[in-house]
Amino acid sequence: MRSTHPFELEEVMAYLDGEISADRASEIAQHMQQCGECRELAVGFRNLSRELSAWEIEASPERLTNEMNAEISAAAERQPKQIRSASVELTPLERLIAPIRSLKGRPWVWAGAGAFVMVLLVAVVLAVPNLLRVRPEVLIAAREMELRELQKRMAQQQVASSLEYNQADERYSASVTDKSAVATMPPPPPPGTSASTAPMIARTASLSLVVKDFSAIQAAVKAVVSRHSGYIGELNTSTPPDAAKTFSATLRVPSAQLEPALAELKQLGRADQESQSGEEVTKQYVDLAARLKNSRATEERLLGVLRNNTGKVKDVLEVENEISRVRGEIEGMEADQRALQARIDFATITLSVTEEYKASLNGAPSSTGTRLHNAFVTGYHSVVENMVGLTAWLLESGPTLLLWVALLFFPLRWAWRRLRRTLTSTPKAAAA
Amino acid sequence: MALQTEAAMATDELLILEFQKGSREAFSELFLRYRELIYAFFRRRVKDAARAEDLAQETFIAILRGIQRYEPRATFRTYLFGIAYKILANHRRKLDQNSGGVGSGFDLPDPSAPGNAQTGMWVREAIAKLDGNDREVLLLREYEELSYEEIAGVLRVPVNTVRSRLFRARMALKEILVSVPGKSVRKENALDSSI
Repeated sequence: MRSTHPFELEEVMAYLDGEISADRASEIAQHMQQCGECRELAVGFRNLSRELSAWEIEASPERLTNEMNAEISAAAERQPKQIRSASVELTPLERLIAPIRSLKGRPWVWAGAGAFVMVLLVAVVLAVPNLLRVRPEVLIAAREMELRELQKRMAQQQVASSLEYNQADERYSASVTDKSAVATMPPPPPPGTSASTAPMIARTASLSLVVKDFSAIQAAVKAVVSRHSGYIGELNTSTPPDAAKTFSATLRVPSAQLEPALAELKQLGRADQESQSGEEVTKQYVDLAARLKNSRATEERLLGVLRNNTGKVKDVLEVENEISRVRGEIEGMEADQRALQARIDFATITLSVTEEYKASLNGAPSSTGTRLHNAFVTGYHSVVENMVGLTAWLLESGPTLLLWVALLFFPLRWAWRRLRRTLTSTPKAAAA
Repeated sequence: MALQTEAAMATDELLILEFQKGSREAFSELFLRYRELIYAFFRRRVKDAARAEDLAQETFIAILRGIQRYEPRATFRTYLFGIAYKILANHRRKLDQNSGGVGSGFDLPDPSAPGNAQTGMWVREAIAKLDGNDREVLLLREYEELSYEEIAGVLRVPVNTVRSRLFRARMALKEILVSVPGKSVRKENALDSSI
């Protein structure tokens, strides 16, 4: 019988309750004139309502009214403040608080704002390290600018103090062959310069290049070095059969030629990494010069003693011993000074060149069994690596993840429930 | 006096907005309109008459104090019964906690208790047998006379759910009442009293 019924009984009930659209109501009204079952349902519900009305409630106690009247009076006394806040001109502080106050009682706004702030916080936390990570080329440019500034200052100070120089060190002028290049670079002070002179900098640079044509690189590097009056301190070449060829060298070029030499080297390939540094060795140099001067004076005095005094043979021998000791010291110090001077005069470039590797088809292919075995071993290693990596990542990030889950759980759950409620109620309300 | 007449003619929504602007008379009028309904709402759901009175008062005080938060998004009745329902839910939760979490969610008023001069005991017993969710919809419809949409707003469920629960509750109640022995006599009385 129900299968042929054109309306759900629930709908008939909604009609009886006046909770159905007008057009549907007229259809049901017509139907009910013919349908005994629906009429029976209507009578049943009406009787039920009548029966339910048997449960009557006594009137509310007088006390409720009295107490509420007292509450209303008390509220009326409090209320002028609220009304004033709307009509009277607000103080700046009140104006500032007003929008926040208007959000009171709107938990979704707070929850949304809270979630937004958290997301923003996450974004900031993720973005800050990237923003703080300055690109290497920016660092290099800044470093180069610093060095140029330093050179300029050194030049000015040295021009001012050049009159104080006692004499130029011959070794210095001999070590630098390219005079024109040195002209751009202030000459390091000769030995015996007072401590007030400009700082002395031992410059070093390192450069990693990736090149396509590896065969020509060695000759090209040598050419660059000789063009800038430098020399190659150390050179290593490695040419493994199944990997990229590498070439590393320690180059020494006059300090003034460091920049142009580096620029030329960079043109040989793609600069992968570049860094420059300068070590101030003024104190070492001045100490060494002072000690050398003292030792030379001692030597002079001892030679004088030897020339003027013709005493006992034993005394003469002692003086000679002393002279030879002092001479040894002087020579040691002179060697140190030369080395230091060389570090100042000649900048060190640590160059590392790698070939852009292309796998070749040289050699016979491995057998299928070997390849499968190798693939299995690689796969096993990969699984172990991944598992260890995952565990390490979980250990490392787990606490942070838990924190964020704890923070975001309630706002998200609230938002999800609200969304679900909206989605489920809208179509049903429309259907009703 | 003129104000009171105006208040008596205004809709609930207008009155609550007036009260929001500071009109004490508007709230007095609303209280007069809903005093009995709200008291009966709690009286039908709470065992103790004094407790029902307290909860009714709590409901009106909540509206009084939270008036600045009111927004006219639903009917005032939805707002009012929504608050009453929340207060009732809190009360039930406290009862459950005190009784170790074995509360039924529905306190059948005790007719022998002082101040419980209520009628229709068999109706109450029958209603007590209904499923909790179905019963709430039935009570809101039959006694508080809320529309389906208002009930949906109060209980925060879709309108279709309200209709299904109401239908289920009515059908179940019909069955229960048919099987109540000696009901017919009382039914006659009930009908007499309702007419």
